[in-house]
Amino acid sequence: MSHSMKRTLSVISESLVEWAIRICGWSAILFVFAIFFFVFREAVPVLFTQLDLREFFTSVNWRPDSRIRPQFGILALLAGTASVTILAMVISVPAGFAAAIYLSEFCGRKPRETLKIVIEFLAAIPSVVWGFIGYMVLNPIIIWATGAPIGINILNGAIILALMSVPIIMSVGEDALKAVPDGYREAAVALGASRWQIVYKVLLPAAKNGLLAAALLGVGRAVGETMAVLMATGHSVQIPHSFLDPVRTLTATIAAELGEAVEGGTHYRVLFVIGSLLMIISLVVNLTADLVVKGIRGKQNA
Amino acid sequence: MPELFDRAFQYFIAPAGSDERGDGTAARPFQSLERAAALIVDNHRKELPAVKVLSGGDEVELVCLERPGFGSPLRKQPRFRYFVAPDEVALAGDGTEAAPWPDLESAMAGVLQIHAGRQLRAGDRIQLTRREVFTAGIIERRKVAVDRLAKVVLAAVTAGLVLPLLAILSYLFTKAWPVLSWRFLIENPQNYMTAGGIWAPLVGTLYLVAISLAIAAPIGVLAGVYLNEYAGDNWLTRLVNLAVVNLAGVPSIVHALFGVGAFVLFAGFGRSVMAASATLAIMTLPVIITSTREALAAVPQSFREACWNMGASRWQTIRTIVLPNSIGGILTGVILQVSRAAGETAPILFTGAVFYVAVPDRGLASIFPYSLNDRCMALSYHLFTISTQVTGVSEALQYGTAVVLFGLVLMVNLVSITVRVYLRSRKRW
Repeated sequence: MSHSMKRTLSVISESLVEWAIRICGWSAILFVFAIFFFVFREAVPVLFTQLDLREFFTSVNWRPDSRIRPQFGILALLAGTASVTILAMVISVPAGFAAAIYLSEFCGRKPRETLKIVIEFLAAIPSVVWGFIGYMVLNPIIIWATGAPIGINILNGAIILALMSVPIIMSVGEDALKAVPDGYREAAVALGASRWQIVYKVLLPAAKNGLLAAALLGVGRAVGETMAVLMATGHSVQIPHSFLDPVRTLTATIAAELGEAVEGGTHYRVLFVIGSLLMIISLVVNLTADLVVKGIRGKQNA
Repeated sequence: MPELFDRAFQYFIAPAGSDERGDGTAARPFQSLERAAALIVDNHRKELPAVKVLSGGDEVELVCLERPGFGSPLRKQPRFRYFVAPDEVALAGDGTEAAPWPDLESAMAGVLQIHAGRQLRAGDRIQLTRREVFTAGIIERRKVAVDRLAKVVLAAVTAGLVLPLLAILSYLFTKAWPVLSWRFLIENPQNYMTAGGIWAPLVGTLYLVAISLAIAAPIGVLAGVYLNEYAGDNWLTRLVNLAVVNLAGVPSIVHALFGVGAFVLFAGFGRSVMAASATLAIMTLPVIITSTREALAAVPQSFREACWNMGASRWQTIRTIVLPNSIGGILTGVILQVSRAAGETAPILFTGAVFYVAVPDRGLASIFPYSLNDRCMALSYHLFTISTQVTGVSEALQYGTAVVLFGLVLMVNLVSITVRVYLRSRKRW
């Protein structure tokens, strides 16, 4: 083989590799569109025909199996998702921020490394194990503590979701605090500020966008979580009246019913409509979080 | 003559049983506060002019005795502590640290006013000190106290997040202890899953993880390479990055729906190991992409520049310099993908996981029980079914399955962390 042939070969193979790299890079876009496409594709046949969108969003009647007149109202499911998510965030956002502040500003290097590893482990616990903890461990504790007849309810789901979303809130929040230039801290120290004053008066205002993004990502995680809420929040489709009511969320409904729905039937397709809705919610939450973070970067570069 | 040394003056007072002509010594204490005030001011004016204004670290202390000559145990801290600040322009102070009195005379008058009608008890001490210019003022002290409080509260919250969880996890472990054994791992579920072990689901999980890894690792690593090495700063790159973020944020149940629509129905895989693995692969792709991108970004730019200067092409540089120097970080991401894929339940619910499959107990067939077109059991789904769907399963079996699943994920993460720590310790730049 002549030298020039070898060279040509290597040029060709190199350009092949480079194209493979490009295509893999662009594939992420492809996958997001594919997810949209395939979920919508299953949903579209009922979306503008059989499904009354007004009833879909405003009715509390979710009776997909009714022989006489199936009803697909997701208001109760939306209320379920909202109540569990909101309560979870009420617990996890302050706790996550507190832990982020402690780790980034008050903690020594050694304990910080240890705590971060522990929290990484917590983030790795599979959602079905979280669900199991809610179902088996938290359930009797809640019954004992509140006297509720059943411990699988909003409170249970919210505690589990809060613990699940704390790691992401904490790590994104810590990144946001770390991203505040050290010059800000030094200037504050020079003015005689204490650590807490630095945190309260300087870091929190400076990092507020990053912290907001952290909270949003926590919301995204909580809204989309499936197995844990399926196991820990109960199964009654209803508008909750107290934190001790069991509810059903959007995600749990899909997980519980898709297996039984007739493929291609109305019920089956409506579950895909719910999936599309979830997809849109998560997209909006993630894009907002991304924009918020971009916002800070833009300002810092300027 | 100016004073060279700081002095502490101690006077005694004993409201009970001392005579009117006491001079403030322990043997002949003052009888009343009024007399004490008058004599102390008089004393310092006459003999020690410097002390009149309390200079330096001077201190005047008035100790209350039970009876002349009889002390009682003194408190560690004076019960009453007042401040004098002679060097500062002060208006009428009230003796607190924030507003000290200007000199000894007004201080004694102030003390009289404060203590008028209040009986001193034995052991009480009234202390007058100079307010040091550089000592912590009340505001400063409050600041420090708030700081300390904040630290304690924040630490308590952090501990409150971590400790109960560790408690719960160890509780799971103790409940699972009776069934945890080698046989639990290698036996198949028996008796409608109410007895036996977890071999079939364990193998199913290994299948799903291995195949999804085989799909996701090459795509993810190459995508990471693209983002860090090839992509320019333009709209397309921003779009790709946005897509990665969104891919990571898509709810797992939506991934399941996508798997049903794309792999089970459209691609014609049916509910199978293949469809489930492909769904898991798409879902876990962002983990590999982001960690690869970060690992590559950590390789100093000068390494690349040196290589380019030798005439190497872009791909040659990546292959010989960038990838070898970032392999640890990439590996971390790949391992994390494994841990995600092993634990996920929702995406495999309708794409390939099955309630129960009979799997051979022995021989080669027990190691390779599923083909790509078969449906399989999976540990995560198995945990869901035996804890919520099947009745009559012993608690130990349920807890045992949870602990194995969780332990598997934990171990994989431990490997990832060890790799990371090891590589950081050897880092050469």
